[in-house]
Amino acid sequence: MKFIKLTFAIMLSLTILSCSSDDDSNTEDLTGQTGNLVLKFDNGVGDQDFIFGTTYNKSNGESYSLTTLKYLISNVRFTDENGNEFMLPHDENVFIIDEATANNAGEIWLTLNNVDAANYTSVTFGIGIDQERYALGAEGQGDFLTEAADAGMMWSWATGFRFTRFDGTYSSTTITDEALNIHMGSVGTSLDNYREVTLSLPNNVRVRQTTTPEVHIKADIAKVFDNDTSINFADGYSQVHTNTETTTVIANNMSTIFTVHHVHNE
Amino acid sequence: MNKLIILCIAITIWSCSKNTDFDEVYQPIPVTVEVPANFPEMTYNLDNNPVTEDGIALGKKLFFDGRLSANNSIPCAFCHEQAFAFTHHGHTVSHGVDGNVGKRNAQPIQNMAFQREFMWDGASSHLDLQPIIPITSDLEMDETLSNVIQKLQADNEYKQLFRRAFEDGNINSENMLKALSQFMIVMISSNSKYDKYVRQEDNVTLTTIEEDGLNTFTAKCTSCHATDLFTDESYRNNGLPVNPQLNDLGRFDILENPDDLYKFKVPSLRNIEVTYPYMHDGRFSTLEAVLNFYNQGMVDNGNVDPSLLRTDGSYGISLTAYEKTSIIAFLKTLTDYEFLNDERFAEYE
Repeated sequence: MKFIKLTFAIMLSLTILSCSSDDDSNTEDLTGQTGNLVLKFDNGVGDQDFIFGTTYNKSNGESYSLTTLKYLISNVRFTDENGNEFMLPHDENVFIIDEATANNAGEIWLTLNNVDAANYTSVTFGIGIDQERYALGAEGQGDFLTEAADAGMMWSWATGFRFTRFDGTYSSTTITDEALNIHMGSVGTSLDNYREVTLSLPNNVRVRQTTTPEVHIKADIAKVFDNDTSINFADGYSQVHTNTETTTVIANNMSTIFTVHHVHNE
Repeated sequence: MNKLIILCIAITIWSCSKNTDFDEVYQPIPVTVEVPANFPEMTYNLDNNPVTEDGIALGKKLFFDGRLSANNSIPCAFCHEQAFAFTHHGHTVSHGVDGNVGKRNAQPIQNMAFQREFMWDGASSHLDLQPIIPITSDLEMDETLSNVIQKLQADNEYKQLFRRAFEDGNINSENMLKALSQFMIVMISSNSKYDKYVRQEDNVTLTTIEEDGLNTFTAKCTSCHATDLFTDESYRNNGLPVNPQLNDLGRFDILENPDDLYKFKVPSLRNIEVTYPYMHDGRFSTLEAVLNFYNQGMVDNGNVDPSLLRTDGSYGISLTAYEKTSIIAFLKTLTDYEFLNDERFAEYE
């Protein structure tokens, strides 16, 4: 019983101490507080929702239909209104966004736990695996190598990750249902196709212990193909794997497909 | 409140008793990996994967375990036999599960911690990740990482070995690959006659013919077979006639870069005496055949390394009969009997 009393005394004094360290009485003290945050990835094609098996038209007369749509997201971090950055723990900061796991609304939810409580103004993430993480080898990967291999997000003939996996068929006036496989990735240290995007949030995302805000991110798959560099599948882009030129174009296009549509603070 | 305390104590006791199934605990015994004096710097970052006795022991067990393959019968050691510096004795190219045949000659496993990239085409740029290729290749072990992990998780001995080798004790791909790396990191071959000669140990001297061979080798071969690892780790096309049956495009497969056509990684020459047959497809069974090829067998396949162009416009390295004989005498001084017979790497000690 003495022990309990002592514990209470310590906790009480800690609480008082942490309160007293707040010398700006106008702002809410968030020290030590963490909460959850949901990133919702919502794949679409232009003004349509993305649906497997649906045929979508490109600007050049080609059309495509996909059976697999996956990409890797890593190094997710948030910047708050004071410019402070919160990064998720390194070893738990790689995600496979797989359309096949989407809910009925076509959203893939990433629930992030233990996010520092703050008012965030932007979110940053990488597409793929950066060179630093790759150079660690197995270190810090836990089960991710297995997970990525099971998801078909690793090369079979080399030890690298596929950053994107768009599989399906494409057609044009002269071609019908030819195979389409966009497997862009880095190649060891020789070719770095990792890209980062920073998206400003339309209103502050308020992470608190008691609230779980949601950030709805739209990904426009049309922009992978129709962008600053628009591609013709028939001209070497129906099979994108490791070629320096084609993978670089896909990587650059990928870095422009994301926008934050809206934020729910509850 | 008293009830809460009792509950806490009960949970504590329960969680302790739960562990009695496994008396193994993580008590790492660090292993110092010495860099031989005549070697370049190590490329493997040991800070991310500190080598321990239990880590090596686990890596060794995995290396010799057929369960890493689909039919549970093709371990790493199947194609990597110690007596032949961990190559596949006598095989031009190796066969995997279900009689499948690969397209390249198994390379030796030695001094891996000093290499930047792995495989004939550099398909892996980290030692930890390299084993994923043979494990998952349908021509080799044809297994998936998750199946391998499931098989290991079902094995009580592995539960203990992973617990001893890693602090978190998890049987997952990270720890499996780290253990395999630890085993390969300590597989250092650095005690050949040549090594002792060059480090001036034990009063070892080379014979006249060996020394002549070394001098010719230094003059004509070290622009590619550089440093005491005997490779500059570059990818080069050495003018081998293309085998149309295999049509192996070499490093081109990796980046689809036309400049990489028919290029393969310059192999180390350590233990070359026992790693026959030679070249990426094992087409030459003797060192004589290799040197005869360099002297007069090279062809212009469109992308031959410029360093191999002779002044008369043909490709090759001109070698007299004595130069060839003496180079071979020198190359045999690279055989490291201590490594080939080291019990630490043997399946049965």
